[in-house]
Amino acid sequence: MSIIQTKDVKKWFGDFQALKGISMDVAEGEVLVICGPSGSGKSTFIRCINRLEQHQEGQIIVDGIELTNDLKNIEAIRSEVGMVFQSFNLFPHLTVMQNITLAQIWVRKKNRAEAEEKAMELLERVGIPEQAQKFPGQLSGGQQQRVAIARALAMEPKIMLFDEPTSALDPEMIKEVLDVMKELAQSGMTMIVVTHEMGFAKEVADRVMLFDEGQLVEENTPEEFFNNPESDRTKLFLSQIL
Amino acid sequence: MVDLIKKNAKSLQESLFSSVGSAALTIATTYLVINFFRGMLGFALTSDKDWLAVLNNMQLYMVQAYPEEDFIRVWLSVGLTFVLAGLSIGIWRSDDRVKSSQVFNSFFKGGLGVLFFTIIAPTNSSFMGNDGSVITEEVFSMETRLGILIPVAIFCVIFFSIRFININFTVNSSDMVFFYLFIPVALLWFIKLPTIQLDQNNERIIPDPVMPIADTTKIPWTVIFVSFLASYFIGMYLKNIKSIKSIMSLSWFLLPLLIFSWIFKKPQIDMSVVLGSDLPIFGAFLLWGFLVITFVNNSIFKKYYSTYLGLTFLLTLVGVFSGLPMLAKTCLLLIALFSVVVPAVSTSSQGKRSLLIVWAVALVTLTFLLRGGASDTGIVVPGSSIFGGFSLTWLLAIFGTYVSFPLGVLLALGRNSKLPIIRIVCTGIIELTRSVPYITWLFFASVTLAVFLPAGVEFNLIVRVLMVTAFFSGAYFAENIRGGLQSIPKGQYEAADAIGMSPFQKISLIIMPQALRAVIPTLVSSAITAFKDSSLVTIIGLFDFLTIGKTVIGNQSIPVNFVGHDRENLIFVAIVYWIFTFTLSRRSMKVEKKLGLGER
Amino acid sequence: MKNALKTLSFFRNVVFLKWASQIVFLVGLLYIIWSYIQNAVVNLEQTNIAFSWGWLGETPGVSIAEGMYTLPNSGRQMIQVGMLNMLRVTVTGIFAATFLGTFLGIARLSKNYIVEKTSTGLLEVVRNVPLLVQIFFFQAFVLTFPRLEVFDVGTYNLHVSAKGIAFPWFNRQPTAYLFWVYLIAILILANKIYKWRVQILEREGRETRPFLWSFGIFFGLLVAGWYGGYRVMGVIGFLAGYISTGVDLLPAIFYQILFSSIAVFIGYRSTKKFIDSKKSEEAQGIYSDDDYFKIILNVIVVLLVVVLMFSSVGLGLSNFLVGDELVFKADWGVPQFFDGVNNKLYWNPEAKIVLDAQLDGMKRADIIDWIAVPGTEVTKGDVIARATAKDLKGDLNQEISIYAKYTGVIEEVFVSKGDTVKINEKTYDIRVTDSKPLELSRPRIEQIGTTKFKKYADGFGKSLSVGYFAIWLGVVLYTAIFISEVVRAGIMAVSKGQSEAGLSLGLGRGALLRLIVLPQAIRVMLPPMGNQYLNLAKNTSLGIAVAYPEIVAVGQTLYNQEGQTLPVFLIWMAFYSTVSLTISTIINYYNRKMKIVER
Repeated sequence: MSIIQTKDVKKWFGDFQALKGISMDVAEGEVLVICGPSGSGKSTFIRCINRLEQHQEGQIIVDGIELTNDLKNIEAIRSEVGMVFQSFNLFPHLTVMQNITLAQIWVRKKNRAEAEEKAMELLERVGIPEQAQKFPGQLSGGQQQRVAIARALAMEPKIMLFDEPTSALDPEMIKEVLDVMKELAQSGMTMIVVTHEMGFAKEVADRVMLFDEGQLVEENTPEEFFNNPESDRTKLFLSQIL
Repeated sequence: MVDLIKKNAKSLQESLFSSVGSAALTIATTYLVINFFRGMLGFALTSDKDWLAVLNNMQLYMVQAYPEEDFIRVWLSVGLTFVLAGLSIGIWRSDDRVKSSQVFNSFFKGGLGVLFFTIIAPTNSSFMGNDGSVITEEVFSMETRLGILIPVAIFCVIFFSIRFININFTVNSSDMVFFYLFIPVALLWFIKLPTIQLDQNNERIIPDPVMPIADTTKIPWTVIFVSFLASYFIGMYLKNIKSIKSIMSLSWFLLPLLIFSWIFKKPQIDMSVVLGSDLPIFGAFLLWGFLVITFVNNSIFKKYYSTYLGLTFLLTLVGVFSGLPMLAKTCLLLIALFSVVVPAVSTSSQGKRSLLIVWAVALVTLTFLLRGGASDTGIVVPGSSIFGGFSLTWLLAIFGTYVSFPLGVLLALGRNSKLPIIRIVCTGIIELTRSVPYITWLFFASVTLAVFLPAGVEFNLIVRVLMVTAFFSGAYFAENIRGGLQSIPKGQYEAADAIGMSPFQKISLIIMPQALRAVIPTLVSSAITAFKDSSLVTIIGLFDFLTIGKTVIGNQSIPVNFVGHDRENLIFVAIVYWIFTFTLSRRSMKVEKKLGLGER
Repeated sequence: MKNALKTLSFFRNVVFLKWASQIVFLVGLLYIIWSYIQNAVVNLEQTNIAFSWGWLGETPGVSIAEGMYTLPNSGRQMIQVGMLNMLRVTVTGIFAATFLGTFLGIARLSKNYIVEKTSTGLLEVVRNVPLLVQIFFFQAFVLTFPRLEVFDVGTYNLHVSAKGIAFPWFNRQPTAYLFWVYLIAILILANKIYKWRVQILEREGRETRPFLWSFGIFFGLLVAGWYGGYRVMGVIGFLAGYISTGVDLLPAIFYQILFSSIAVFIGYRSTKKFIDSKKSEEAQGIYSDDDYFKIILNVIVVLLVVVLMFSSVGLGLSNFLVGDELVFKADWGVPQFFDGVNNKLYWNPEAKIVLDAQLDGMKRADIIDWIAVPGTEVTKGDVIARATAKDLKGDLNQEISIYAKYTGVIEEVFVSKGDTVKINEKTYDIRVTDSKPLELSRPRIEQIGTTKFKKYADGFGKSLSVGYFAIWLGVVLYTAIFISEVVRAGIMAVSKGQSEAGLSLGLGRGALLRLIVLPQAIRVMLPPMGNQYLNLAKNTSLGIAVAYPEIVAVGQTLYNQEGQTLPVFLIWMAFYSTVSLTISTIINYYNRKMKIVER
């Protein structure tokens, strides 16, 4: 059963059409990697899935709930979809611990002790339990991104969206974040990852997609995608990136 | 020692006489500065000035016409403020330590300053008499000069030579506050500032036995100082209690309300009304709030929560336009708002407990203020207003900031909102308010505002001034806060959205704390401006600190004639304002450094 | 459960909620405003002072201490005087404060210990004392001096009394306007020459001494101008005379169409520019709500201008702004404007001789002796005639002297012994030529008629009233201190690295400051500087505290007379908004210019 369904999703910024009819299904537990040149609409697409951007035409159904202007639906979807951003977007005025417990307490209405327990558990999972009382500004980029993953996981989402999670990182820090993501994928989380890390795609992804100019150009298994691409656009893209 | 002098001399030479131009600049500036100070000293010391005009009117300056038998209220207010300050200093006691050499060095420098002024003080000074002739007189005799020079020089030498003896100890910087306050309080016991009166022949006399001005204040000040010190130690002791800091913040928030209602009124409270009407209403609403908090997570209650909210709002609407007592109406409004907030806030049992405390405190404050406000006052003041002099200036400054700050936050949020109508309205309010000078708003308050109020509703001029001040400084605060809001990156909003926060939570937990922290310096300077601007009420005829100095004393002929001595008083007023604003701006600079922006 | 969520009920629709909440807000706000207006209507009815603008046309019956007219004949004129008095402080204050502030700002960055500490000390004193206290202090300081009456009549170099401060000053001669225009013209010329030389320098790569060239030519022309060369500019007045005659013949509708089309054209162009800018790459043609409102606002402003142009409201407004004096009619003052130019900028303007002072009740004077004949050279203040002054009935004779108001050679005299002349500033009785554009003169104390009261003579040196002195010094010093902070921060914001980069390129200190540091510093400084100018403009309203008749003080006097508080408040609001808007427009203009430099 597919947990995310999109049908002919279109979006315009003014005169510029960012998405030109995207249709896809994501099954539960699947790891989907989206790649493509910058400006191809891949970020816009995943931001539409948790309504950070609003699509204008088509349908997006997440876990059986359709994304419309309904306030309750938006709230429901946001609490089921976690998101990790390119620029981390941790809250700089709160400690790591507070960053992770905040939404549990205020949105999930857990009590503080429970929330902190959960937070420690997650910090151990991402490998930085000793940084709990520090402020984000005191951490390295890789550590910050791992905190951001923990923060998203604290909401116990069914789906995780990653918007270029490693693009803002120094090369030596990329691995530590990717390791966390691999571990997450192996645990059976449904993930949509926008990334240029082809190694990650080869190793972890169930499916790889290529976006170009707001369109879904190719959709394939990793082996096929990298070794035997269907379209010329994919060949060109791969030749540029590899 | 020779090395020290050599080193200093070298750096001095580098900074002052590095080139011919620099040397010329140094000499010219020094000449100008010395002559300026000589002129100022001469101006202050000539016999046409009467500094007793300042000293004799301290009471007028502080409280204007407040009745003497109720002074205890004023003293208690001041005392309470100091006790709270003492507690806070104790609780937030910093670990910074000041070296003894730094302290001695500041004494030495202070002494040098006095020496400098004593040496440059002019022997003769002149002023122009009423007939246009220039009168020259001796203002600073050699004996006085030596009388100051010798002891101060000795003082300087002592504190200069201490640095060559190895006494090294450090003092906690918080403790120094008490030392600096101790000096003026101690001086009250030694310095006699006589009051003067007139005898039968209209000659000035100093009545016997000497009644120093400080006599009436030295005992209260001493008591206050002692309790200040005591509360400091208590504060250090209380430091480790968990929620003490939030309790202190709340007390600081409530203190002005308490003090001003206290000074403003000696409520003649009718106990039968309190017992018969206020107490039941209070109890009922306390219970209501308690029930809402307790059952908010109950699944059945949760299901019908919107129905409950609707009913509450309906009840409020009906209640407000009915004949219920004022307290009940206000409480209804409050519970309606409270009910909206509770589900967003209440979570853990701890959260529930603090919510209940907030609710109880709000109810107590409301009941207290409303009952106090509705009762007759027992304080009889001859003039038009109870507040006058420094107490009025203080009221305007603190309440101006108090009311305008939340308004500023709201306006800033409105102006930054995505909703176009709200944004346009807020922008309009901010820009219209800021486009005209404060004084025109004061005139609006004093003459025009009454036109817009419903017939029969009248506010005291002070209240009207506070109303327009709230808008005026609110608009300025709003612009500052908007600057902070704009500095928050878009990602912060998105991150908060992505973890499912409601707009209310997003603003109050993520955006506002960051925005406010970013603009603390500008907010403080706006508050300082508001404090300075409060002096403008003198133009619309309120008796603030400046009015007392400029107009009241300048026209005072009873008991002693001080007509025309407004220059001395203006200088005094300027010095007092200066001390407050200067200290405030220096403190804020320190706080700013301490907060740093390292956390981002 | 999930199915229940799928159905969309309108009260959970985000779009519905967004607009519903705003409309509720707006309706609530309008209701509140409406109810307050209702209150006002009821209250005003009860006090019998209905809201009206009628007082603008009535004679207020009060005098103003200083300004263009001291006895205004209508409420409108009175407000104009207040506006001009306010602008007088604001405009001169802005220049003075900028100058002083820049000086102090640089002093605060000085490496010289004494200079730095002195300027910092001044900053801490002025910044931390309320402006009002400072203004009161300056007032009290001048009021310490004795009354003017204890001093003798005569000429002084510098004079301070309780009436004010007087000092020598370059007073305007009739040809001064010509000279100002000439000065502006040669300044522009010097600038052009500088740019031309720099261009050659850049093209041919040889030393062209641009500064020396432009300054030399400027100085030479200045000297030539001072000795009569400025009269070249009289050609403007000459031409304006013809244009005036020409445009007088055009019908009113021509002006209405002309001004309307200008407004439409400007509105169209700016909107088009805005839309074009939105079509660029990075903007991607996205319009936010703000952008739509900007476009709508543009259209509204243009429509408003057109409507004003054709309606009686517009005429009333122009009448209000410029008044009857210039007879503003449907032609929006164009012929009058050219007439004025013709008058002021003609190469041989008419000079006037003013009879001695305003004498109480004295309206006319018989000339009994005329001293100055054509061909004589007179200096300002010379006695040129003696006369007997008398009041309307002819009683109260009193001998007075007639002084020359300007310096120059008398060319023609239109009066002679035995004539009766009006004591009125508008009498053109002789023509003076060859006068210098500006005349340095010293202040004089004169007796007002036979009374014991004295005053500083008009047009001799410059006298500042106590109020003007206090408010001017107050706002200038206060603003200068804040400007010095702006300047300091601006220069410090240009990082040390920038200076080092410049030095490493081999630029000299002067070139470094001019080419690297200043352009960047000014860009940082401009917006806060603009804020300080706005504050200065608003702070001039404190003039009311020291009896300086600026717009707020005048307004207060007026509503004390008429009881019309609301219209006065509206006038204040409109006036200050206009001034603020003008200042910020100018600052924005320069800001944009600077930003282009950056690219």
